[in-house]
Amino acid sequence: MGIPAGQMVAVGRYLVKQRLARRERYPLVLMLEPLFRCNLSCTGCGKIQYPVQLLRRQLSVEECVSASDECGAPIVSVAGGEPLLHPQIADIARALVDRRRYVYLCTNAILLERKLDEFEPSKYLSFSVHMDGPRAEHDHSVCREGVYDVAVKAIRAALARGFRVTTNTTLFEGSDPERMRGFFDEMMELGVEGMMVSPGYSYEKAPDQEHFLRRERSHQLFSRMLGSPKRSWSFNQSPLFLQFLMGKRDFECTPWGNPTYNIFGWQRPCYLLQDGYAKSFRELMEETDWSKYGRKSGNPRCQDCMVHCGFEPSAVRAAFESPQAMAETVANMVTGRL
Amino acid sequence: MTEARIAELVDRAFDYRGYVTLRRHDGSELVGFVYDRSASHLDLYDETATRRLRVPLAEVADIAFTGEDAALKSQEIWERRKGKLESRETPAHGDWADPGKILVLVALEQELRAVARALGSAPRGGVVRGRLQVSEAVALSIGMGEGARRAIADHHPRLVVSCGFSGGLDAALSPGDLVLATAVRGAGGEALVAPESPRQAAGRALYGLRCVQGELVCSTAVAASPEDKRALARPGALAVDMESYPVAEAAEESGVPWLALRAIVDPLGSSLPPFTREARRDYFWPALRYALSGPRAAAGLVRLARNANRAGAALEEALRRLGPAFAAAEAHR
Repeated sequence: MGIPAGQMVAVGRYLVKQRLARRERYPLVLMLEPLFRCNLSCTGCGKIQYPVQLLRRQLSVEECVSASDECGAPIVSVAGGEPLLHPQIADIARALVDRRRYVYLCTNAILLERKLDEFEPSKYLSFSVHMDGPRAEHDHSVCREGVYDVAVKAIRAALARGFRVTTNTTLFEGSDPERMRGFFDEMMELGVEGMMVSPGYSYEKAPDQEHFLRRERSHQLFSRMLGSPKRSWSFNQSPLFLQFLMGKRDFECTPWGNPTYNIFGWQRPCYLLQDGYAKSFRELMEETDWSKYGRKSGNPRCQDCMVHCGFEPSAVRAAFESPQAMAETVANMVTGRL
Repeated sequence: MTEARIAELVDRAFDYRGYVTLRRHDGSELVGFVYDRSASHLDLYDETATRRLRVPLAEVADIAFTGEDAALKSQEIWERRKGKLESRETPAHGDWADPGKILVLVALEQELRAVARALGSAPRGGVVRGRLQVSEAVALSIGMGEGARRAIADHHPRLVVSCGFSGGLDAALSPGDLVLATAVRGAGGEALVAPESPRQAAGRALYGLRCVQGELVCSTAVAASPEDKRALARPGALAVDMESYPVAEAAEESGVPWLALRAIVDPLGSSLPPFTREARRDYFWPALRYALSGPRAAAGLVRLARNANRAGAALEEALRRLGPAFAAAEAHR
């Protein structure tokens, strides 16, 4: 199991509360983007293409805290851009941890080792290190030599200081399932708490448009990669979501599950699509026409999307919808089978 | 221009990752980045990306795509690279220069507490991490300047501020008065002139406070009595401390600009209690022992504590005022 018991209990309690309150739509993870600037320019990233004046902008600690309070999600994923370029990132993490949010600070880890002094280990804080595969694949994906080695060194340093560390891996067309299995072994040997995997989303603004996975290819790749999973592997994700990636289950997207807040406001409708911005979280939830999104809507931009930010919440919700699904989830978590 | 044409331009502007120029029906123009639109208006960041603007669509006569398209540029760069990777020597901050911290170095725990209040943070293990306006700041208690080299090497600051208490060498100075160093003079008589730019910015920021500019003399022993201080006095020298010179010397060696700012605790004519002759970071226990030695000692100590509080408050206020000055300097980088 890649998710600590305390965190599972906290999230479970939150979900039960939402169900008892008969809320139809509620967030699971706040995707907080405190800035868009980055020290890498990855081939599949469509998040950072803005004029330099906007790249220099960043959310203040107060804006980040207030977004988290407004949203109320028990988990905050701090993304970007590269969050460690934010001069107050440690203050942001501290303030969220003080509010007992489970913070996943997503980073390419280039600056992680030199910034570790600014953070304090906590069960609420985890560095989620971007690792797109073994050394050659990762360096190719981030378009820079040596980043894999820097990240591995930073992971070791963070673990040695008692920080929680997970990895997040985005897969593209051409990924080799066998090499990825070897990569999972490497990460677990390093001592990370858990791994996250997801196919990349075909951002319109990303430089490389040719290597995004289509749905069928995603199923093939994840089936080969995650079939007969090793007991040593821990995923920081719902097993039902991993089964969805393998084509064993089907879910509809939950676009409001991971609402996104950045320098423009609350992004409509989701972390990946930018159809506008709401001024408040409430406005986002109540005034977005959700029927326009998801596979069933026929929206062409949603047809191949299998990204975790839309489907992990669906998988988590599904686990709470029937005792059988919950039993299967628990059994998968305990046995490590998928 | 027809409404349909404007609607099409609005959609394109919303999708465009660059600045556009809106021409209004009254002939005026507005440059901005369109980040949202509705049936009735456009939402933009202005050209500096510091102000949000809302423009009614009814006012828009035309939209020109005048700024560079960041998405197109990123694609062109990627295509030019043809699969070649960036070198491993690429700076860790990428295109974003590390602005560097402001490193505030003090000698005593009490000085660190005053700095911590200005930084809006609390000391943890002799370190305070906080901010002076938008500038990231770290304050360390390093004793009498001996840890300055190590602190500068560890923190890569863009400015070093030596900050703390001092004794007056000029009879006009009272407890709580501030001295901004124009130069610091070492025990051997050698002087380091304070870098002009940060000193001038600090001088402007501290205008209106009881602050004078002049030379600081650094002694290797505590100048506790009026005689000790008079022996160090020289024309232009305003105050004495023990750490500004080694801090300035370490900063100069590393090529980092520095400032020295002191607050007077003991004026020229006053004496410090004997226990202060021993240089240490925290005087709590020696002070307590001294206070218990008799009523005169206790009264003297109360006076000293009052002066130290006044000096601490002056330093706190001064650092708060320096925040905007440092922020302005950062904005011009």
